[in-house]
Amino acid sequence: MTSLTRLDPVAVPLAQDPSTDISPAPAVPRPGVVATTLGAAIEVERLDHGRRRRLWVPRPLSRLLGVALALGAWQLASSTGSLSPTVVGSPRAVWNAAVHLISDGELGSALASSLHRVLLGLVFGLAAGIGLALVSGLSRIGEDIVDAPVQMLRTVPFVGLVPLLIVWLGVGETPKVVLIALAACFPIYLNLSGGIRSVDPALVEAGRTLGLSRLGIVRHVVLPSALPQLLVGLRLSLGIAWLALVFAEQISATSGLGYLMSTAQELLQTDTIVVCLVVYALLGLTVDLVVRALERLLLSWRPRAVGV
Amino acid sequence: MSATVKQATAVSLNGISRSFGDRGIIADLDLEIGAGEFVALLGASGCGKSTLLRIVAGLDAEVTGEVVVARRRAVSFQAPRLLPWKRVWRNVVLGVPGAGRAEALAALGEVMLEHRAGAWPATLSGGEAQRAALARALVRQPDLLLLDEPFGALDALTRITAQQLVADLWAKHAPAVLLVTHDVDEALRLADRALVMAEGRIVHDVAVSLPRPRTLESSGYVGLRRELLAQLGVTE
Ligand SMILES: Nc1ncnc2c1ncn2[C@@H]1O[C@H](COP(=O)(O)OP(=O)(O)OP(=O)(O)O)[C@@H](O)[C@H]1O
Ligand SMILES: [Mg+2]
Repeated sequence: MTSLTRLDPVAVPLAQDPSTDISPAPAVPRPGVVATTLGAAIEVERLDHGRRRRLWVPRPLSRLLGVALALGAWQLASSTGSLSPTVVGSPRAVWNAAVHLISDGELGSALASSLHRVLLGLVFGLAAGIGLALVSGLSRIGEDIVDAPVQMLRTVPFVGLVPLLIVWLGVGETPKVVLIALAACFPIYLNLSGGIRSVDPALVEAGRTLGLSRLGIVRHVVLPSALPQLLVGLRLSLGIAWLALVFAEQISATSGLGYLMSTAQELLQTDTIVVCLVVYALLGLTVDLVVRALERLLLSWRPRAVGV
Repeated sequence: MSATVKQATAVSLNGISRSFGDRGIIADLDLEIGAGEFVALLGASGCGKSTLLRIVAGLDAEVTGEVVVARRRAVSFQAPRLLPWKRVWRNVVLGVPGAGRAEALAALGEVMLEHRAGAWPATLSGGEAQRAALARALVRQPDLLLLDEPFGALDALTRITAQQLVADLWAKHAPAVLLVTHDVDEALRLADRALVMAEGRIVHDVAVSLPRPRTLESSGYVGLRRELLAQLGVTE
């Protein structure tokens, strides 16, 4: 005896089933159409798969080469005098400034307070972005309520909020953290909610036939399929958080990299400004490396991208 | 609410209809499949076979009429629909309470795919992926197995092996099977009954009472084949 269920309609998004394709008939050569060029010479080529990939220098080295060339050009411009020290010092002068800033601890403490702000802002911003994206991606009513306002807010340039934040929150730490959080919130929201919405309906349907509950489908199908987009969003959010930091630290800060830069600006110390910019760049690079490692770790199921 | 009763039919459809917009695809269709019965569904492309299968699978929200089907059912679509972020064995036991690697390996062994248990689905060949999907359906020990052109993407040789595999698995586990196919020989090789669908209904219902295993040489095979082809509008 078989146990039977009476089916009741359940809301399933209707998807065009890929299995409705007609299996293609194999191409059969028509008899009588015989190649007339049988035996004639045709052009051939030997495919050199191995050689195409190999570069004449290892990859990290070739990347450093670009940096070295730029540095060389900079040094050349400085020592020939075509780049005046009032515009920007030579690489050597910048290096000396860096050594000085590090040895007297100024750079270290500036970095610490900047990092503190960024981390705090990111925690709130990412949490809010992810939370909102889950609400709007996973339920129709959530989408109606959340998405429109967020899309509207997104078009406001966050830098334009600085005066308002100062009026509301003063000039302490709060407006800075809020600005960074706001900036970081949107990229992750947009990417995660977009990723959730673009889940393959065929896989959701498969999940249903496997007997997964709604929660099970979210956990095993929807969220993993949105993970690549989430990581893209994370990368963008981290990037924009640094940008927001620079702006935030222009709000009468008394510590941090931005503060270091604005005091250097008043004293016309371009070398210090350049050092700070380099630190920003290195931080951005580190973050990028971390996200890349995360991608390799979490997305190992994806077939390796084919390089062009 | 879904009411549960016990009976000896795995599928019983009563006057079901389904249309997309104002195009009626299924019109007042009746169908019964007994427990353990192997039924093949043939029909011209676009006549509504997959639509019918989705209805039986419980995936169609807009069907009208009475649909009573086995509670334990499993589906294998033409596209294998494995979750790319889960290793093959995890795909196989996903949604089966209490099942782990051992159960997955046993099911994969039945489709001769044990050695790929730890692989990512993206690295499987087309035939391997379809066998994995079959293992995923079998591990649920369904009373009703729904197969939508499961061998559609396979080459002729692999297809014969896969058909043999399904025949063996059916003999062993005895689920009712609804197999959608374009291939008359596949229907004759596997099924107890071959149905031909046209204009939204089952227009022909042919019992295939040939002894198993069946080959082209089985007596009566050629006759049945000609009959089915004629009903599909093909004359040889
Ligand atoms: N979601 C949908 N929206 C609109 N029309 C649909 C939808 N799904 C199927 N159809 C139409 O219903 C008809 C039957 O589709 P179905 O997929 O059931 O055909 P089929 O018999 O399985 O064909 P094939 O043998 O080619 O797989 C087709 O004309 C198709 O275009
Ligand atoms: Mg179909």
